[in-house]
Amino acid sequence: MSVQNINVALIGNPNTGKTSVFNQLTGLNQQVGNYPGITVEKKMGFCKLPNNVKANILDLPGTYSLNASSMDESVVIELLLNKNDKLYPDVAVVVTDVENLKRNLLIYTQIKDLEIPTILVINMSDRMERKGITLDIPYLEEKLKTKIALVSSRKGLGIDYLKELIVSYKTIPHEPCLNASVIDPEYFEKLQHAFPNQLMYKLWLVITQDVNFSNLDRNEVRNTFTKSHSELKRLQQKETIKRYQFINDVLKGGLKVDASMAKDVRAKLDRILTHKVFGYLIFFAILFLIFQSIFSWSTIPMDFIDSTFASLSSWVAEELPSGILTDLLSQGIIPGIGGVVIFIPQIAVLFLFISILEESGYMSRVVFLMDKIMRRFGLSGKSVVPLISGTACAIPAIMATRNIENWKERLITILVTPFTTCSARLPVYAIIISLVVPSKRVFGFLNVQGLTLMGLYVLGFFAAILSAYILNKVLKLESKTYFVVEMPSYKMPLFKNVGINVVEKTKAFIAGAGKIILAISIILWFLASYGPGKEFNDAENIVKERFANTTLDEAQFENEVNSQKLENSYIGLMGRAIEPVIQPLGYDWKIGIALISSFAAREVFVGTLATIYSVGDSDNESTIKSKMQAEVRPDTGEKVFDFPTGISLLLFYAFAMQCASTLAITKKETNSWKWPAMQLVFMSGLAYFAALIAYQLLK
Amino acid sequence: MFQEIIAFTILGLAIAFLIKKFFFKSKKKKDCGNGTDCGCS
Repeated sequence: MSVQNINVALIGNPNTGKTSVFNQLTGLNQQVGNYPGITVEKKMGFCKLPNNVKANILDLPGTYSLNASSMDESVVIELLLNKNDKLYPDVAVVVTDVENLKRNLLIYTQIKDLEIPTILVINMSDRMERKGITLDIPYLEEKLKTKIALVSSRKGLGIDYLKELIVSYKTIPHEPCLNASVIDPEYFEKLQHAFPNQLMYKLWLVITQDVNFSNLDRNEVRNTFTKSHSELKRLQQKETIKRYQFINDVLKGGLKVDASMAKDVRAKLDRILTHKVFGYLIFFAILFLIFQSIFSWSTIPMDFIDSTFASLSSWVAEELPSGILTDLLSQGIIPGIGGVVIFIPQIAVLFLFISILEESGYMSRVVFLMDKIMRRFGLSGKSVVPLISGTACAIPAIMATRNIENWKERLITILVTPFTTCSARLPVYAIIISLVVPSKRVFGFLNVQGLTLMGLYVLGFFAAILSAYILNKVLKLESKTYFVVEMPSYKMPLFKNVGINVVEKTKAFIAGAGKIILAISIILWFLASYGPGKEFNDAENIVKERFANTTLDEAQFENEVNSQKLENSYIGLMGRAIEPVIQPLGYDWKIGIALISSFAAREVFVGTLATIYSVGDSDNESTIKSKMQAEVRPDTGEKVFDFPTGISLLLFYAFAMQCASTLAITKKETNSWKWPAMQLVFMSGLAYFAALIAYQLLK
Repeated sequence: MFQEIIAFTILGLAIAFLIKKFFFKSKKKKDCGNGTDCGCS
């Protein structure tokens, strides 16, 4: 028996648990956020179904209706109207939330009008009893002309029945559940007469939407059946009212809510968590707890990893036959990998908290809370989602701006999101803070290092919104906006979802950043181990001549030779070339090398310093931190990583655009090199001057 | 000699990886089912 391939599109409002259903069907591990904007592009998975059916499951971005107002909503409409698309669905699965059925059914009625076989999934069924909700499924199936699967995607209930429905999709009625043409019968009749082979609702979408359609000349339809913009808007409103009237009638007979059983905990919690004073206090208290934990909980595993890699380097250097490969391993590759692995505990703790906040439903309250602030700075409440996602990585965060309808707000959000402290900055912050900020407590419980880290996150956020304010004044783009945000129910975070998210985010950091760091560490080692001219190649004789009148023991002599070689190596010459520019910031040529190498990816900074200090140091057993701590300025004998230099570096990395991938995604999303170029110049300039002022004031 | 060959091979691989990563990004092709015609007017 041959395998039958079918396409299944998962469609629904944001936050209905669509991605959870996708995970249940496909078994793919993918983030499920409890706030809007998680699925910004089509996502594909596969599922083997009974009767030898293989389903290609497509997780589409959350959309409220087929009246597209943002880019991710257009993705849904374009797919549903293009029968030539190889992903065009054989069956649509509309996912709804049992607590928000009325609003969620709007898009269902529109898809039914496109005469695509449509299954209705009523999700979060496990909450029905607690909320006093009862459903008359046969009645709803009859009125909505479909099959309904009552599902709890979080508990995996009803998924098998949904799979059965997908297999038997051909038995699902095609006809619409209401006739939208009654809003203007005469107009629709003419339209249908002119294009007898086309679906009427499709023609209506062609006229009202600005999306691409297959086999249909949009201009021809629009020119023939021109109506003024205001007339079209009025008809669209009539259509929406008509649909809601139908939905109300259906739900009156099929949905019962026993108010006495519904506990009003959610409303009480919302009043506190979105309160204009307590809301912000609670938010900052949670942030504070997170950053305290990042330092407190990570210390022991980080020290363990650091000393393990130092011992490994030492072991390799001693046990393997001496030669260039052994040196590359012990001084380049192992310290380079160590510079990545050491930050796993901190990244895992950060994402543990972020996942819990997302899963619980609290993040949506933050979006709502911050909207009031965001508006004043020319941003939308929806800008909070990219700004918060930016704590992981600016790339998906910039992609998440696609659900911002207003182009100006979207552009500003794209431009300022890289200020948010991403996980790549965390290693830089962590090592510098541990070097220059004392590990002591104030008032007995406040860890100063944790406070500093939190301060840097807050600084990144304020840099983003202040830049947004300036851009809002400077950019001359006009467009209207509105803000709709989903307030999901509070849920106890599922250990599995939180665990998957922490593991995936940490893996993404290791796999993404780790490979780049390793490659750059290898190249750096070569550049630091070879050099041109006599100063490098004749280093031993030069040191002997320099210390002719001084007695050096073997280790001291070796260190002096290594320093002489490093200073005159290729990388040393590069670092010294930029030293005049960075000296006013408190940096020496070695930090200069780290700045150059981390230009493409800021997380390379620590790995670079680990490699440079390993090459310049004959003691392989020292940890990265102790090597940085021991580094002194040759002219003054003072520590390189003192308080002024540390603060200057922290500020530099807080503001600098040290990420080639972010520039690339900005170019992709804005379709112009102008904006990433502006981003680069503005952020680098701000970073330089902030670091300069800080160092000059503190030194 | 043996160590040098391996070390420089690793260097070559590292350079090739970075060049591929930053200069040769694979572009997703927009496929509308029939290869070329996306039906966009």
